[in-house]
This record gives sequence, structure tokens and C-alpha cells, in this order.
Amino acid sequence: MVIFSLQNKASLGEFLEGLKDCLPLQIGVVPFGIVFGIVGLDAGLTPLQTFLMSSILFGGASQIVFTQLYASGTPFAILVTTVSAVNLRHILYGIVMSEYLQKLPLKWRLLLGYLLTDEAFAISHQRFTQRHCSESMHYHLLGSGIMLWSCWQISTIIGIIAGPKIPDFFQLSFAVPLTFIAVVVPSLVHFPQIFASLISGCAALVFQFLPFNLWLIIAATCGISAGTASSYLINLRQKQKGFRQ
Amino acid sequence: MTVWLAIVCAGCLTFATRFLPLSSLMPKTLPNWLKLAMKFVPMSVLSAIIVPAIFISPETGAFNIQDNFRIGAAVTAIIVAYYTRSTVITILSGLSVIWLLTLLL
Repeated sequence: MVIFSLQNKASLGEFLEGLKDCLPLQIGVVPFGIVFGIVGLDAGLTPLQTFLMSSILFGGASQIVFTQLYASGTPFAILVTTVSAVNLRHILYGIVMSEYLQKLPLKWRLLLGYLLTDEAFAISHQRFTQRHCSESMHYHLLGSGIMLWSCWQISTIIGIIAGPKIPDFFQLSFAVPLTFIAVVVPSLVHFPQIFASLISGCAALVFQFLPFNLWLIIAATCGISAGTASSYLINLRQKQKGFRQ
Repeated sequence: MTVWLAIVCAGCLTFATRFLPLSSLMPKTLPNWLKLAMKFVPMSVLSAIIVPAIFISPETGAFNIQDNFRIGAAVTAIIVAYYTRSTVITILSGLSVIWLLTLLL
């Protein structure tokens, strides 16, 4: 990596710190990646397709959604739209990060954009906001991004190799909803989040009859609307209360 | 062939969602309602996957409550996830329940 030189001591320090800060999160990432490797083959993808999806798409939940929709024969346009919709939230991360990264050369912004995941964002945003700004602090995001990227690739390979050897008794495809439960439940803190999740889950059952797996994107839209509307109304009521006092 | 095309297309769109805000092409602020709505995207999509995966039988494609071990496994996993917030323990607890029920019943 000649263009991203680590010769500078400060840059190297930030880079190593990024690697280190992101390490504890890999306890959650590695099983997720293994599950993806297993269900990718299960869905009928080749090992090469499963493996390369982890670097081309590089987004855990969206990759699993891809395999589920692919396995049930979803048309191309709906598959691509639904999978990309899962990743829409990255726009928010990008907006927050652009404050710190917009002056960097294009090659840096391309690389850091590619590496901008939930985990790397969370970890490096903490560093950017909680400690003094420095000229080499983008190396922190490079470090946390590379840590996550490497673990994701390695765990995908483990899933691809180990998956076919695991007997059907273990019902490992059920690890998909379990993994998602592990992701969703901790985020259900306030009423709008819980409401969005319940509405979306019920709508997913109600709309099962729709063709082309359209139920997924429709149920998600119901959940997003329910969450947004209830959150808006709660804020409005709190403001009104504030005015009266 | 279409699989590769789908992977690459979804990959490009995903990269766009990550890179566009860092490029100079996108406005630096979004309307507040859109920002608010985006926060609900992950939990809504994932919940829409979780619920049918529990209640719809993978063999028959029909709604299934009777003798459905996945309901107990999912409830256990939800409680475990709430208290431990750990991916590994959540996955293992849910799978153990389903293994135990399959062995015992």
C-alpha cells in the first residue's frame, strides 16, 4: 500500500488503534459471517459467488437477504432493490463522516466509503468525536474498516468450508433469524422502535401471499412508516407539553 | 450469469449509499423526516425477515403454530438477546432450544 503510507508515526498509531478498537466487535461479526457462508451455499450459490459477495456487497444483513430472496426465485429487479434498500442507512453514516473526511483526496474517500459499515462507523465516530482532531485521524477509520473487512472475509470462508459438513439435524438455516434477533433486540429501546418492529413483523405475515417476495419490501415500508409517524407524533406532543408549561 | 449481475448491481448501489455522501455530488443535509425514517430501516427489514422465518414452515410454506419448535427457540433468543446483548450467546441459546426440543419430543 504505497499510496496510503503508514510511515508517519502518528498515522501508524491511529491505524493500529482503529484495528484494536474494532477487535471486540468481531465477536459478533465472525458468527454472522459463518452463518452467511453456510446459508449462501444452502441457497444454491456457488462457493465463489458466496465468497466474492462478501467483498462486492460487504454488508452482513443485506447479503443474507440476498441469499433468502435468491433461494426463493425472486425476480432480478426486486432482488437488487430490496438488497440495496437494506443498505440505505449507510447514507446517514456518510453524511456524519463527511464532516471529517471531505477534505481528503478522492482515493481516500473512495476507500473509506467502501469500508464504511455499521461497526466501523460506530467505532471511529467515537474516536472522532471524543478525542482531539488530528490530521491523521482518518487512519483510525482505515484501521477499524480493515479489521472488520478481514474478519468478514475469513469468517465467510469458514462458513463455506464448514457448512456442507454440518448435518441437517442442527438446522443451521434457523441461525439467520436468530442472528437478526441478536441485531434487532438491543436496538428496541423506545416505543417507536418497538412499534416499527412489531408492525413490520405482522405485515410480513399478512402479505406473504404477494408474488415475487414483495412482502419483504412492503412489510419493511409499513414498519418504517409506523416508526417514523409514531416518533414524529411523540416529539410533537412533548413539544406541546413544553409550550404549556 | 444473472446471479453475478445481481451481486454486482446490488454491490454498486450499496457502494453508492456509502460513497455519495463523501463525494461532492450530494447535498450535505437531508430533510429531517428522511433522516428519521432511515433510522427505522434496519430494524424494520430485519423484523420482516425474522417473523415469517419463525411462523412459516420451510417445508410446506404454510403458517404453522402447532408443534413449531422455532417459536420457543425464538422467544428464548429474544429474552437472551435483551439481557446479554451478545450475538454468540443469542444464536447458541436459540439453536440449543431447537436441538433439545427435537431430541426430546
